[in-house]
Amino acid sequence: MLTFQSVILGVLLGGLYALLAAGLTLYFGVMRVVMIAHSAFLILAAYLAWYFHRETGIDPLVSLVGTVPLFFVLGVAMQRLLISRLRAATLTMMSVLLTFAIALLIEGLLGYVFSGTQRRTQLSYSGTSLDFFGARVAVVKLIAFGLAAAALLGLYVLLKASRFGLALRATIQHREAAQLAGIDTNRVAGYGFGLGLATAAIGGTALALDTTIYPSLHWHWIGPLMAIIVVGGLGSVPGAAIAAMLLGLTQSLLQLPLGTTWAQTVFYVALFATLAFRPQGFFGGRLAQRF
Amino acid sequence: MDATQARLRIVAGTAIAALALAGCGGADDSDGSAADPITIGVSLPLTGDFSEPGKGVQRGYEAWAKIVNDKGGLLGRRVELKILDDQSNADRVVSDYEQLLGKDAVDLVFGPFSTRLVIPAARVAEEYGMLFVEPAGAAPQVFEQGFKNLFYAAPAVADDHYNHLADYITKMPASQRPKTVAYAAMDDPFAQGTAYGLKEKLEQAGIRTVVNEVYPPNTTDFGSIAAKIAASKADMVVGGTQYQDAVNLIVALQQLNYQPKLAAFSTAPTNPEFSKAIGAKTEGILAPTGYTEKAKFPSNVEFVEKYTAQFGTPPGEDEANAYTTGQVVAAAVAAAGCAEQGDCQRKLVDWLRANTVETVVGPLNWDEAGRPQSAHMIQQYVDGEIQIVLPESQKEAEFVFPKPNW
Repeated sequence: MLTFQSVILGVLLGGLYALLAAGLTLYFGVMRVVMIAHSAFLILAAYLAWYFHRETGIDPLVSLVGTVPLFFVLGVAMQRLLISRLRAATLTMMSVLLTFAIALLIEGLLGYVFSGTQRRTQLSYSGTSLDFFGARVAVVKLIAFGLAAAALLGLYVLLKASRFGLALRATIQHREAAQLAGIDTNRVAGYGFGLGLATAAIGGTALALDTTIYPSLHWHWIGPLMAIIVVGGLGSVPGAAIAAMLLGLTQSLLQLPLGTTWAQTVFYVALFATLAFRPQGFFGGRLAQRF
Repeated sequence: MDATQARLRIVAGTAIAALALAGCGGADDSDGSAADPITIGVSLPLTGDFSEPGKGVQRGYEAWAKIVNDKGGLLGRRVELKILDDQSNADRVVSDYEQLLGKDAVDLVFGPFSTRLVIPAARVAEEYGMLFVEPAGAAPQVFEQGFKNLFYAAPAVADDHYNHLADYITKMPASQRPKTVAYAAMDDPFAQGTAYGLKEKLEQAGIRTVVNEVYPPNTTDFGSIAAKIAASKADMVVGGTQYQDAVNLIVALQQLNYQPKLAAFSTAPTNPEFSKAIGAKTEGILAPTGYTEKAKFPSNVEFVEKYTAQFGTPPGEDEANAYTTGQVVAAAVAAAGCAEQGDCQRKLVDWLRANTVETVVGPLNWDEAGRPQSAHMIQQYVDGEIQIVLPESQKEAEFVFPKPNW
């Protein structure tokens, strides 16, 4: 029974990880950018959802109507004004520095505006759960999972079925060839970055439903998320999703025999194993490349 | 209107403090009328990781100095605080106390904030033979260093926080009392100390431990820990917690529909943010606390009134422990009749070893290592409000058992 409950919790957790990691792998795929600030944007979105709920009393999910477009525009602006100014030869390395600075800036601003006090969105349904063959499924976790599934499906359809998706995938595969085919890769890269940040808005809102948030929380998230996208194959959204699901499930199940401290190391063990035996990642296929 | 007045008071308070600090830096003999002031050196984390509680301790010390000076000072001399900022850094705290004791030749010292900074600071004070009363540092390690001059100015060390609750449970009729307990504690000396102090006492009374989980401070997901606790169906759950971990764990337990007869968590429930986070589902949750502004000790009534007038808000636990530090040192100075470096410090230490001091957290006395010998009060959410339920002599509401469903 406990094992079944842990599987349920693991699947729900894996879904959340998949959503939180999706944007991160997209930035790397499109632009070879390591976006340390991704989790800081998640927390920013979580704070906006919490603040929206506190001020208006309306369900924090409604805040998505504002935060998704806002984050998309922010992402495009960030790519065009900052990231695109980095020299191509040192882009990956310098992007770590640049986005690290942005993460610190967001953390500092959140602390300044909302103080270091730890906040939680108080929802009437935060403790409510459904019975699922004897296991309990928390409504908030189910909503977060649903958001993740919808966002990832939307992203998949967009990448596979739209003209923009085609251009984005072409840019991921081979930038010069894409340019030769007439794609404005700079603009596509900007939109790709905006798309990644838009997933952070959704992920942050999902996080706000069921977590206590504080400005420095993002440091706890960036490590596991980076591990997930490397295991999944950098640049591959389905790879990140599969890796997230597997690692979330493994973490949840390992907690039973090993306890929380050791179960957390699963991300780093998986990271080391990936780098040692299959540096291009386990699920990325030919799109992915070495770090 | 009220808010404006409160803000003005805060501004005025800060200005006075700034002037006092500026005065310390200048010539000492500017005060021609009375005897020399008693200078007290303190190093506090006013910036960095511990700046929030550090500023609280600063306010407590300032409130103490103001109340003492308004009454004519100590031994007829004014008290002056000299506060340095150690930036939450253990290296800075050592050089700060060396400067205060050596170059500045302060007459007395007060302790800094947090276990990490208390130990190095106490070592310096010990070298100079100074009495070292400190407002923070409840972890067992503080008292295992062999310090001879250290006194912790709070009711109890971490392991003893739940003593009243342990008494209450072990005295319940065997048929009623909880038989199994699940413990979850953060990997942190203070948080673990509170839970394991209770665990030891309950195990001695034959109450079984069915879950004993430790999690690192960076844990973000509490679903699996909650699942283990829920599956054990323990009668009681105890959290050795700080803040966010307690809130996340409680909600995760509620999501699994786990309904214990008793639920006790350290630190978080006494935070004003707690009921905003958990909402209406706090009823019956227990927490130990070292201080409540509602405590009826005579000096506390005065402290709360004057502190509120000075700063616009009632004092919290950090402020109260700082104020207690001042009260303890003042009691020793009044009894020994001296306040300067040298032999006098020995007299102060000896007096505190042998006597009990009345403070805002109740009467305090200490063992050889400086551990206070009282216990924390136990608070419980009763009728939506956190109220003292133990000990009997301080209670504001009846202990609720079993806890209503959450």
